[in-house]
Amino acid sequence: MTMKQATPIKMDDLDPINALNMPEMADMTFAMDFLLRAKEGVRNTAAALTETASPQARAVLRSQLRQGVALHQEITELMIRKKWFHPYELKEQYQLDQLSANKTVQIAQMKLFPDDTRRKGMFDRTPDEHIGGNKA
Amino acid sequence: MAKFLEGDHLINEQQTLAPHEALELHEMLNFKTLCLSKSKLMQGLVFDQELKDLMQKDVQQSLQAIADLQAIYGHAPFQAPVPEFRPTPILN
Repeated sequence: MTMKQATPIKMDDLDPINALNMPEMADMTFAMDFLLRAKEGVRNTAAALTETASPQARAVLRSQLRQGVALHQEITELMIRKKWFHPYELKEQYQLDQLSANKTVQIAQMKLFPDDTRRKGMFDRTPDEHIGGNKA
Repeated sequence: MAKFLEGDHLINEQQTLAPHEALELHEMLNFKTLCLSKSKLMQGLVFDQELKDLMQKDVQQSLQAIADLQAIYGHAPFQAPVPEFRPTPILN
């Protein structure tokens, strides 16, 4: 396993400059992912509810929709309080958007992992090798 | 078993889902499963304790949501006994 840095070398994942504000940047990214999942969940559940007639299914989906809306609100309020999300200060939100996009592009251009990550040798066997390919 | 009329159809608790309802549950169950794995695994990466606590709350809610969805998905027209391992063999 060799780690080769893509040229030209501007910085690598060991450069201490990358640790600057790293926890805040990381948490902001995770919170944004969490918020988007909550939002997508509300939309998916509402869409499923309008496609369903079974009273049992509707009851479950309706309660999950309520729960999802409440969770979305909690995440939004947390993100606003932590200054990770600025729904009313659009210039600040614009700056955050651009900075996190730039930072993520920088990370994506780094060589973080070895070329071979199959790791198959770490497992004792192929689970179904006794079955034979003709039955697979 | 509670029975009540809805339109012309007699509906009871164990009624088989319509195919399109089963597909909605397929999508909801897989979405919830993915969200659960993300909220669980990301707790190992976050620094902020409040964010972690909120993710743990999502994990608890998702566990209940998945149990409820699984129970209803069991009435899908294509439901089948669930084996212990995946039905298709894993070969390299």
